Amino acid sequence: MDVFVLNMLNGVSFGFILFLLASGFSLIFGVMGILNLSHGALYMVGAYVGWTIAVKYGLNFLFAALMGGLAAGLISLAMERGFFSHLYKQLNEQVLLTFGFIYILTNISMWVWGPIFKAPFTAPFLSGSFNFMDWSYPKARVATILIGLILAIGLWWLQDKTRVGAIVRAGMDDKEMTMALGVNLGLVSTALFFVGSFIAGFAGVIGANLLGVNLGLGMDVLLLALAVVIIGGVGSIQGALLGSMVIGIIDAFGKALFPELAMFTIYLVMIIILLVRPSGLLGRRV
Amino acid sequence: MKTASPKSIRQLWQGQLVPFVPYIAITVIFIILPPLLPSYLQSIMAKILIFSIFAMSLDLLMGYTGLISLGHAAYFGMGGYTIGILMTRYGINSFWIGAPCGILMATLVAAVFGIIALRVSGIYFLLVTFALGQLLFSVAVKWYSVSGGEFGLGGILRPALGIPWFSWNATSFYYFVFLAFAICFFLLYRLVKSPFGHALQGIREGEVRMRVLGYNVWLYKYVTFIVAGAFAGTAGVFFAYHNGIMVPSHLGVITSGLVMLMVILGGLGTLYGPIIGVAVIIIMEFYAGIFAPERWPLILGVTFVVAIMCARAGIGVYLSVFWKRASLIWKQ
Repeated sequence: MDVFVLNMLNGVSFGFILFLLASGFSLIFGVMGILNLSHGALYMVGAYVGWTIAVKYGLNFLFAALMGGLAAGLISLAMERGFFSHLYKQLNEQVLLTFGFIYILTNISMWVWGPIFKAPFTAPFLSGSFNFMDWSYPKARVATILIGLILAIGLWWLQDKTRVGAIVRAGMDDKEMTMALGVNLGLVSTALFFVGSFIAGFAGVIGANLLGVNLGLGMDVLLLALAVVIIGGVGSIQGALLGSMVIGIIDAFGKALFPELAMFTIYLVMIIILLVRPSGLLGRRV
Repeated sequence: MKTASPKSIRQLWQGQLVPFVPYIAITVIFIILPPLLPSYLQSIMAKILIFSIFAMSLDLLMGYTGLISLGHAAYFGMGGYTIGILMTRYGINSFWIGAPCGILMATLVAAVFGIIALRVSGIYFLLVTFALGQLLFSVAVKWYSVSGGEFGLGGILRPALGIPWFSWNATSFYYFVFLAFAICFFLLYRLVKSPFGHALQGIREGEVRMRVLGYNVWLYKYVTFIVAGAFAGTAGVFFAYHNGIMVPSHLGVITSGLVMLMVILGGLGTLYGPIIGVAVIIIMEFYAGIFAPERWPLILGVTFVVAIMCARAGIGVYLSVFWKRASLIWKQ
C-alpha cells in the first residue's frame, strides 16, 4: 500500500478523534466562555468507563461508547450545576476551577481503575482489516473515520441550519442581546456543555483503539485539543474540523518522517499560526 | 522635647508597634527559629522560601498585571536545568557562574515566549503559555543526551561559593536561600511600589484606558513577562541546589499549576499572600507525603476547588484583614 495514502488515512482517522474531542471543547468555549481544561480528563473517564463495559464485562462496544459518553456528560453536568453556575461571569475563576478538576478526575480514576494502563481495545467486529486487492487497512480506523464524518456533518447541520444552532451562534456574538430577546441561553449553554462532554467521553471509547487508556491521557489529549483550537479557531465546527485534520495529518507524517520530534512538529505549526494569525485559520475573533 | 512617660510608651506600643507584630512574628519564624529546628524542617522552610520567590514572580504576572500564565514553570525549570546541565555535563560547580547562567537562560526563554504569548490576550494567553510550557517539557523528555530524559538530571550538588572556610549544612543552606529570598522580596517590593508597578495595576484594571493615556501597554506587559521569568529562573536555580535533581515535570504544567494554586490560595495582587499560600501547600504536601501520598493530587484538586469557591480573596488577604480588625479592637 502506498505509504503516502497510508499516512494520510492514519492522519485523518486520528484527526477525527481529535475533532470529536475538540468540537465540544471549542463550542463550550465559544458559547459559555469556559475554557474547560478538564475536557481531556472527561475524555479519559469516558475511555475508562468504556473499557470497563466493553473489555471487563465484555458487553456491546457501542453500548460501552454511549455509556462512556454518558459518564463524561453527567460529570460535566454536575460540574456545571454545582460549581460554574455559582461563578457567573467570572471566567478566570471558572478556568482555574476546571484545572483543579483535572487533578480530581485523574486521581479518582487511578483510585478506581489502578495506575496500570489498559491496552487498546475495539469492538470484536471491528478488529481485523479490510482487504481490497493488495491494500489492507484496519476496520476500526475506517469506522472511526465514518463515525467522525457522521458526527461532523450532524454537528455542522445542528450549528448552521437549526434554531438551536442559531441560538448558539447568537450567544457567541452577543450574550446580553440574545437573552434580552427571551432566549433561555442558560438552558442552551447547559445542554451544550452536556453534549460537548458527552462527545468527549464517546470519543474516549472510540479513540481507545488508537490511544489506549491511561492516566496521562487527560493532559495529553487536552494539549492536542488546545492545538486544534489554536490552529482552527474557536467556536465553529468548521474550524475544529480543519484544525483537527491539520494536527492529525501533521502528527501522522511527523511520526513517519521524523519520529524523534514527536509532538514537536505540532507545536511548531501552532506557534507559526499564532504569530501569523492569532485568531486561528477559521476563528471568529480573539 | 518631652520625655516619654509610661503612658505615652503604652500609647506608642498600641499605636505604632501593634501593626508591626506580624512582621516581628515573621522575623522570628524565618530568622531566629530555623537553627533550633531539626534539619528536615529547615529543609522544608528553605523549600517554602524558594517557592515563595517563584510564587511572587507569578503573582507579578497574575495578580498585578492580570496575565494568567499556566506555563510559568518553564522559566523555573529552565533555571534549574541550566544549573544541572552545567554541573553534571560540564563540571561547573561555582555558584557565581551557575546562578547568572541559570537566570540568564530563564530570562532568554521568557523573552522569546513572551513575544509569542503576548500576541493574544485574555484566556488565550493562558492557553498559549500552557502550550509553550509543555513544549519545553516535551523537549526535556526527548533530548536525552542533555536533559537526561524522563528520569531527569540527578546528582546536582550544593554550589561552591569560593569561600575557603565555608561548609554546607541544612542551616547554612537555609540562610543562603533566605538571603536570596530577602533580595528578591526587596526587589519585587520596590518594583510593585514604583510607578512601573502602578502602571501594571492600571493595565490590569483597564487596559484600554492605559493605552489611551499613552502607555505602551504591550511593552509594559512584555517587560513584566521577562522580569517574572527572571525571578522564576532565580527560584529554579535555588530549587536545583535544594532538590538535587531536576525532572521534566518541573518544567511542565504540574509545577505551573501547583504554583498557580499557591498564588490563588494565598491571595492575588499582594506580595505576602503567595508566601502564605506556598507555606500552606508545602506543609500540606509534607503531611500528605506521610499519610496519603497516593491521594495528594486529589487533595490538591479539592484545595483548588475550595480556594476558588470559598476563599477567592486568598488566605493571606483574610489574615491581614483579620489582623487589622484585631489591632483595632486592641486599641480601644
